[in-house]
Amino acid sequence: MVRKRSEQFSEPGSEVASKPKPVNQIKSLMPNKKRKSDNHNFTGYMFISPFLIGFFLLTLYPILYSLYLSFTDYDLMSSPNWIGLDNYRRMFTGDATFWKSMEVTTMYAGVAVPIRLVFALLVALALNKIVEAAGWYRTLLYLPSVVGGSIAVSIMWRQLFGNDGAVNSFLAMLGLPTHSWLGDPATAIWTLIVLYGWQFGSSMLIFLAGLRNIPKTYYEASSVDGAGPIKQFFIITLPLLTPVILFNTIMQVIQGFMAFTPSFVVTNGGPVNSTLLYVLYMYQRAFEYFDMGYASAMAWFMLIIIAILTGVIFKSSQYWVHYESDSK
Amino acid sequence: MKKNFLRSMSIGLALVVLASGCSSDSDEATGETGGDGDGQVELRMTWWGSQSRHDQTQEIIKKFEEENPDIKINSEFTGFDGYFEKMAAQAAGNNLPDIMQQNFGEYLNQYADKNLLADLTEFVEDGTINVEGVSDTIMDSGVKNEQMLGIPTGTNALTAFYNVDMLEQAGVEAPDENWTWEEYIDIAKTVHEETGKYGTRLMEPNNLFEYYLREKGHKLFNEDGTALGYEDDQLLEDYFTMNKELVDAEVAPGYDTIAQIKGVEDELIVHGDAPFDFRWSNQATALDSASDQNLEMTLLPGSNNTEGMYLKPAMLWSISENSEHKEEAARFIDFFTNSIEVYEISGSDRGVPIKEEIREEMSAELSETDQKVFDYIELVTENSSAIDSNFPGQSSEILATLQEIDELVMYGEMTPADGAADFRAKAEAILAR
Repeated sequence: MVRKRSEQFSEPGSEVASKPKPVNQIKSLMPNKKRKSDNHNFTGYMFISPFLIGFFLLTLYPILYSLYLSFTDYDLMSSPNWIGLDNYRRMFTGDATFWKSMEVTTMYAGVAVPIRLVFALLVALALNKIVEAAGWYRTLLYLPSVVGGSIAVSIMWRQLFGNDGAVNSFLAMLGLPTHSWLGDPATAIWTLIVLYGWQFGSSMLIFLAGLRNIPKTYYEASSVDGAGPIKQFFIITLPLLTPVILFNTIMQVIQGFMAFTPSFVVTNGGPVNSTLLYVLYMYQRAFEYFDMGYASAMAWFMLIIIAILTGVIFKSSQYWVHYESDSK
Repeated sequence: MKKNFLRSMSIGLALVVLASGCSSDSDEATGETGGDGDGQVELRMTWWGSQSRHDQTQEIIKKFEEENPDIKINSEFTGFDGYFEKMAAQAAGNNLPDIMQQNFGEYLNQYADKNLLADLTEFVEDGTINVEGVSDTIMDSGVKNEQMLGIPTGTNALTAFYNVDMLEQAGVEAPDENWTWEEYIDIAKTVHEETGKYGTRLMEPNNLFEYYLREKGHKLFNEDGTALGYEDDQLLEDYFTMNKELVDAEVAPGYDTIAQIKGVEDELIVHGDAPFDFRWSNQATALDSASDQNLEMTLLPGSNNTEGMYLKPAMLWSISENSEHKEEAARFIDFFTNSIEVYEISGSDRGVPIKEEIREEMSAELSETDQKVFDYIELVTENSSAIDSNFPGQSSEILATLQEIDELVMYGEMTPADGAADFRAKAEAILAR
């Protein structure tokens, strides 16, 4: 095909040019064809090379190196020595704080993620009804998520729930008993959970997009059949939203287990380790106790936990996620 | 043509992105590798401290740069929380600052064992750093593994700060240096009953338990730093019990209150909410500048407190082994040690000056606070024993464990006896690693 076309193509030119030239061109086109695709790839790779170099040097290499470090006694300053599985053994058998941090993190993610998802869904449902100035509301409600991960908000949180903070002042004003929210091991983790729930913006936007995708005709048809709004929510909205719920759940579970800033800034793991999130403990091991090998082992263990959780959620999804394309 | 254009453009783009990525790196890097165009050497310097120290130190640096126009110092500073974490990350990157504020004890030992600090002996010998006339005991505190790894910034000691007005208001006599633990507890209780405020601040275990042990004739770690330096867990149990009883009686605040304190400026004694606070003497400046209370200083309690008390280098100036401008860094340390201007700016914030000439020159125009600190250090010099320097490399983790157990005990989640046993078990496990 190609050759034919190029022959045809070369014909008008050959009338003017000397005879051997078109032949030459055809010949040179053939090997050139191959090189051309190489060139195309090369150009493509060059265009994405900033990412590739960054990925290999700054992401893949450190990841693999941390796997190596997890089998060493690396202390940040001297060169690492191979100690086999000692770090993992110590983690599972000899470190009560490790299990404590695991427990705190599981509790945190287990409670905070559903709270955030429910909250995000409720707000998305409300926003979906608003027509006027919807953009404004969206922006306003998304704002906490933009600033939420930052140090500033965590510091604000510390002030809000401090002994002399706004929450206690408000309670005192209403004549209610005040409480040392951050100082009481039973309540400190809840201030962090509330902080997590408050940053519902990104899930909310995704829910909102999901809601907009549900055809209006379903609602119209069901209301003709006499379904009220609550019934509609459970038989139309929720089933059609399940793929979005799945996506949000997975993203939020991962984020929940990786949370660091709130406990680092608001409580620094205290009181009595009641808010010692896993990643914070990992940071402490690495940079406060110069126990980088152990911290690397912790990081890899967390990777495995998250992988298993994600796998379980994915597997379970066939029982509760409803794809429109399947049902047809 | 088009292909070539695309290709060269993609290469160009990649290079630009890479170059801009690198250049922002190298901007930071110039700090340590140094060199503006005109032969000026750039040094990086780090310290921890309070806001008043940050301001004062920057003023000192400005003075130094005026006198040494060939050197420019870039400073990085934080509070104590996070400082050594940051340094650890820099050490891992072989990127420690040229001049580093270093801490005596476990930190210096750790950096010494990893060979991260430069031996300053040659600079002291050739006079770049002039420490003539400084007593050997003071200089020895910067020596580890037979290398001089730090020059003390000044002398420091643990202090019982007390609020004169609060004690008077409660009708109790101010303590003198011969007070005992029993008297301390009695005064605290009386103040609480009379004023309704706290009678003391909860003791911070990392420094004060060590003092408590010394006062009872023991040490926190044994001679070679391979085990705990005391045999009887009753000691720690008693220490916990003493504090726990104060917390239970609401004479001392629990950790729920302590955890809200985020700096010297927030301390109870600063706001007249507790009459006692046991901490380092160089913090007098920070306490006084944050407070309008009438504060005095005396030795920590205990009938045997001359055994417990010790002089400590407040901090050390160290030069990192990876510094390329060790001599210029040494010149700054010399400036800090020997310039009266430094102490005119910062007083005794980094401890009482180690050079006698400076102390004498200063004594004419000391501020009231500094005069108190100078007198106090003199008192401690006469009433103290040698400092323990046998901290093993793992001590920061062991002390963190002590802190954690102290919290558990104070929250009532563990009995003092269990806490004491638990600390021994954990400390031994850490040391055995």
